[in-house]
Amino acid sequence: MLTAGLVGAVGLLPWLSRTDPALTVLRARSAERDPTPEAVRAVRAELGLDDGPLPLLARWLGGLLRGDAGRSWVSGTEVLPTVVPALGVSLLLMAGAVAVAALTAGAVSARTLWLGSRRRLGGRGPGRTGSAVLAALPEFLIASVLATAVGVHLGWLPALGWQGPRWMILPSLALGLPAGAVLGRMLDDLLPAAFAEPWARSAAARGIPPSAVAGQTLRRCVPAVLPNLGLFVVGLTGGAVAVEQIFDIPGLGRLTLRAALAQDLPVLQTGTLALVLLAGVTAGAARLGGRWLTGPALRDGALHSLHPPATLSSPAVPLVLAFLLAAVIGLGLPHDPLALDTAARLQPPSAAHPFGTDALGRDVLARVAHGALTTLGAALVVSAAALPAGILLGLAPRLSGPPADTVNAVPPVLAALLVTGVAGSGPWTPALAVAAVAWTPLATHTSALLRQERAALHLTATRALGAGRRHLLRHALLPAVLPPVLRHALLRLPGIALSLAALGFLGLGAQPPSPEWGLLLAENQPYAERAPWAVLAPAAVLALLGAVAVTAAGASWAPRTGRRPDRGRGGAADARGAGGAGGGSAPPSVPFRHTTTVPASPPSRSPAPAPARTPDGTLRS
Amino acid sequence: MRTPRRRLIAGLLLTPLLSGCFSSGGSSGSGASGSGDGGRLRVALAFAPAENYSPYGGDAYLLSRLGVTEGLTRLGSNGTAEPALAESWSGAPDGKSWQFTLREATFQDGTDVTAEAVATALTHAAGAAPAPAALSGVKLTARAVGGDRVKVTTATADPALPLRLTNPSLAVFSPKAYGKGGKVNPVATATGPFTLTRATGSTAATLDRFNDYWDGRAQAPGIDARYISDGTARANALRTGEVDIAESVPVAQIGSLEKGTVHETGTVRNTSLYLNTRDGVFQDAGLRAAAREAIDTSAVAEGVYEGYAEPAEGLYGPALTWAAGKRTEPAGRAEATNPGGRRVSVATYSDRAELPEAAQVLQQQLEKAGFRVKLEVRTYARLEDDLLDGEFDAVVAARNMLLDTGDPVTVLAGDHTCEGSYNLAFLCDEKVDERVAAAQAATGTTERQDAAMRAEAAVLSTDAVIPLVHLKLVTGIATPVKGTVLDPYERRLVSTGTRR
Repeated sequence: MLTAGLVGAVGLLPWLSRTDPALTVLRARSAERDPTPEAVRAVRAELGLDDGPLPLLARWLGGLLRGDAGRSWVSGTEVLPTVVPALGVSLLLMAGAVAVAALTAGAVSARTLWLGSRRRLGGRGPGRTGSAVLAALPEFLIASVLATAVGVHLGWLPALGWQGPRWMILPSLALGLPAGAVLGRMLDDLLPAAFAEPWARSAAARGIPPSAVAGQTLRRCVPAVLPNLGLFVVGLTGGAVAVEQIFDIPGLGRLTLRAALAQDLPVLQTGTLALVLLAGVTAGAARLGGRWLTGPALRDGALHSLHPPATLSSPAVPLVLAFLLAAVIGLGLPHDPLALDTAARLQPPSAAHPFGTDALGRDVLARVAHGALTTLGAALVVSAAALPAGILLGLAPRLSGPPADTVNAVPPVLAALLVTGVAGSGPWTPALAVAAVAWTPLATHTSALLRQERAALHLTATRALGAGRRHLLRHALLPAVLPPVLRHALLRLPGIALSLAALGFLGLGAQPPSPEWGLLLAENQPYAERAPWAVLAPAAVLALLGAVAVTAAGASWAPRTGRRPDRGRGGAADARGAGGAGGGSAPPSVPFRHTTTVPASPPSRSPAPAPARTPDGTLRS
Repeated sequence: MRTPRRRLIAGLLLTPLLSGCFSSGGSSGSGASGSGDGGRLRVALAFAPAENYSPYGGDAYLLSRLGVTEGLTRLGSNGTAEPALAESWSGAPDGKSWQFTLREATFQDGTDVTAEAVATALTHAAGAAPAPAALSGVKLTARAVGGDRVKVTTATADPALPLRLTNPSLAVFSPKAYGKGGKVNPVATATGPFTLTRATGSTAATLDRFNDYWDGRAQAPGIDARYISDGTARANALRTGEVDIAESVPVAQIGSLEKGTVHETGTVRNTSLYLNTRDGVFQDAGLRAAAREAIDTSAVAEGVYEGYAEPAEGLYGPALTWAAGKRTEPAGRAEATNPGGRRVSVATYSDRAELPEAAQVLQQQLEKAGFRVKLEVRTYARLEDDLLDGEFDAVVAARNMLLDTGDPVTVLAGDHTCEGSYNLAFLCDEKVDERVAAAQAATGTTERQDAAMRAEAAVLSTDAVIPLVHLKLVTGIATPVKGTVLDPYERRLVSTGTRR
C-alpha cells in the first residue's frame, strides 16, 4: 500500500512540482542546447507525456509485472540493467560502512563495556564528548579529508574509483564513522543500566569472566539499537550521494539524484522501489535479529527494565563547552559576515581574521558567529517538531513502523521534491522537508525501547496492581523511553542543521550569502585543501554544538532519573521495585541455558556487592 | 556446528558476487611498452554520456572530443569551416544547396565512406526527433551525386551550412550504425582515429586506435576514458596518476595541481549578467545602466576565477581572434539613474562552481550602488523553468557563444531577439532584431563577422546583457603527455598526435 502510494507519488512528481519533464529531460540529454518549442514538443511526443501521469504510471506498472522496468527517459536504455548494478555497488559500500560503524560503535562503548564488566563503572556516566563530536562531523567533510590526505598525499589507498576491496576502505570510513558514533552513543546510553541488572552483579560475584558478562550485556542492549542500524543501512544505500561523488562511486545515490533532477521517472520509480523493498527486508531482519538476541524473555515479559543508574556526570563539561561556543559567537558578532574583499581571499588565520577568510575574502569567524542563530534556530525547530512526532508515532509501532521504514528509504532529494510538490515552496518548506524524514529514527528508537520495556517484569506487576494503560504509559513507559530518545534527538541536531542546508541547491532554505553553517561547509568544501580553516571552523562549531547538546542532556537527566521513585511513590515505582526484586531477572535467554552462564538466583541469596543499585537508582542493601 | 569448510564455500560463492559489484575499471594500462607508440591514454571526462552515446544530443561532443567521430567539415581555430571528410565544397548561387566532394576514407567497420553512406547519415540526422540543435529550424536534405559527391539542400538559403556541418551531431556513421527507432550505434561505425570498443554504462569507455584512419594512424594505441563528474575527484585522479588528462579542472582545484600540468585555453564561453527587460525593476533602461556602471568585472575575473578568465570586452571574447579589431562602441546607451534601494532578485546555478561566487561579488557591487539584492542559487535543472518564465530580475549565466553551429550569428538570434528561445533578458528591441536579421542574411565569412559585431553593439547598447568575463578552460595534463588538443570550442581533446 505504502509502497504503491510512494511509487505513485513519484510518478506524479513533475505534475506536483509543475516542472515540465520534457524540459528537464532535454536538458539532461544535452546541457547546452536551446529549449526551442519544437525540441520540447518532440521530447513530449517521444515520451508520451501528453497522456498524463496516470496512463504513464499504469504502463510502467504493467511492464513491471512482466519484469520490465521500462526504459530511461533520458538515455533510452533499459532501466533494470542500470539500477541493479548501482544497487549492488551501493549495497557493497553500505556493507563496508556498516562494518566501520560497528567498529566505531564498539570503540565508543568500549570504555563502558570494559569498566562495567569489571564492576568499576561506579557512578561514572559515559564519556559523551568524543562520540558527539564524531557524530556531528558531516560525511562529505570526512570524505574529502580522507581522499586528499590518505588518497592523494600519502597515497596509501586509492583516492577515487570503485574497482576492488581496496577502493572500499575510504568511503566506508567516511560513511561509517559518524553513523557508528550515533549508534555507539545509543548503545552506550543503555549499557550502564544493563550492568546494573541483578544478573550482572550475580555473574560478577560468581567470578564469571568479564568478557562473558560484557558479551551478554551487549546482547541485552543491541536489540534496542538494531532497528536504527536498519534505518542507517537503508538510508546509506540511497543517500550517500556526497561520498559517492567525492570518490566517484557509481552507486544508487547518484543515480537517483540525477534521475530526480532530470525527472527521469522510470529510473526514479525503479530506484525508489528497490530502496523501499530493501527497507522492508532490513526492517524484517532487524526485528528478527532483535527477537533472536532477546530470546523468549521478550514474549514472556521477563525482561528487566533498562533504567540507567543515576550518573554523576558533572555539569562542568557542558558548561565549559557552551562557554566556548558562546565565546566564538561573541567574538565574531561585531564583524560583518557579508563584507567581501576578493583581494584578501583564502587568508590563513591572523590577528585580523582569527579563523582566516573564505574564498571571497569574508571573515570566517564573523560568518560562523552570525550563522549560529539561524542554524541553531532552524535545527532546533525541526528537532522540536520531530521529537514529539517521533515519540508519539513510535508509541504505536504497528502503525508507524512501515511508514517510518518507507520514508527513511526515500532519497533525501526526492523527499524534498515531493514535500515541495505537495506543500509548495514557502519559507517553511525546507523545515517541513527535513522534519518529514527526521522523525523516523526517533520513532524507530522509541518503538525498539518500548518493545523491551513492555516486556519488563515491573510492568506485569504494575498491571497486576490494577494500573490502566494510561497509567502505565505515563508512569512506566514514557519515563523509561523519553530520556534516551531525547539524547538521541540532540545527537542528531547537527545532522539536521546539515540536511537543512543541503536542500539549498533545490532552491529551498538558506541561500548564499547567508552564513548558515551547512552552507559555509558546502561553499568552502572545494577549498578544503587550500584553506582548511574555512571548513574546519564551521565543522568545529557544529561538533561543539553536538557535544554541548549531548553532554547537557546527560547532565540534566541524571538527577531526574534519580528522583523518580520519590515522585511515583506508591505507584509504578514500587511495583517496579517489586518486579525487580521478585523476578530474578536475567539476560534474555538465561533461564533456558540454566546455570551455565549466570545463575538466576533469588535476590535474597544473591551475593550482590553492597551497596547495590536497583535500576531506579535507589539504594538497596 | 559451522565448519570452516562451509565458510570457505560461502566465501568462494560470495567472491564473484562481490566482484560483480565493482565497476570493471579501465583495462590494464600497460599497453605496448617500448614500441615507440607509448601507452594507452587515460582520460577523465567531466560529463558522462547521458543518452547512451546518441550523436544527436550532448553526447555528440563527447564522441568528438575522444576522436571517435567526424563530420564533413570541422571548425578551424579562426572560426571557419575546414575540410574533414569532405575535401572541398561549393555553394550554389541561390545559397540553398551545397556540393561536398568526399576524400577517400574508411569507416571503422572496414567499409568505404561513400557518398551514399554520407547522404544516409545526414538524412538520419535531419530526421531525428528532436532534431539536433545544429539543425534547429533548418530543413535539410542530402543525396549522393556520383560516387564521391554529396549534395546538401536546405529549404531556405543557408550561408552558414558548412559551419553547421562542423557540429558533432552531424557526424557520419556507416549505414550499419542506424538501427530501428532512430537509434545510432557508434561502436566501430564512425570514421575518427579512435574506435569506441566498449562502453561501461556511464562510468567508463574503452577506445582503440583505428588503424586505417585517413589522416594517418594515431600515436596512442587506445584511450581509457572515465567519466568523473566531481571536479575535485577529477583533479585527484590526475594528481594520483590515475589519469593522464583531466578535462575542465574547476578553478578551486587548480591551485593544488602541479605547475607543469595546468594548461589553459581561452574559450568562447562567457559569464554574463542578464537583466530582465520584460518584468520588474530592470524594465527601466536607466536602472540597467546603473547596474552596468556598478559592476567591476575585473573583481570577478581575479577574485572568483583567479585569473582563469578575462574581464569581458563584449559578447565575443579574445578566443575569437577576428572579433578584437572589429568592435564598435555601443551607441545610445541610457543615462544611469539612481537605484534608490530598489529590490532585485538575482538567480544563478550551482552546477558551475564559480557562478554562485560571482553572483555574490555582483551582489556586493550592486548593493554598493544602491540596489538591494536577493540571491537565488539552485541546481540548473530546478532553475531553468523559472528562468525561462522570467521569475527573476537578473540572471548570472555562462553561455557558449559559438554553440552548435560555430556561427557567431546563431546564438545572437537565439538569445537576444524577440523570437529567441533562450532569451534570458527577454530582450525585444527593434534595432537588435534588425541587425541580427541582417547578420543572418550575410553570406561571406567576413561579412557575417562584421554584421555580428554590429549586432553585438546593438545588444550591448540596450544594457540588457552585461558581459562579465570570458572564461578559460583549464585542462590538467600529466607532464609526459604530448599533443593534447586544447580547443577553444571544446569539440576536440585527443587526436592522432596525442601520446604519452
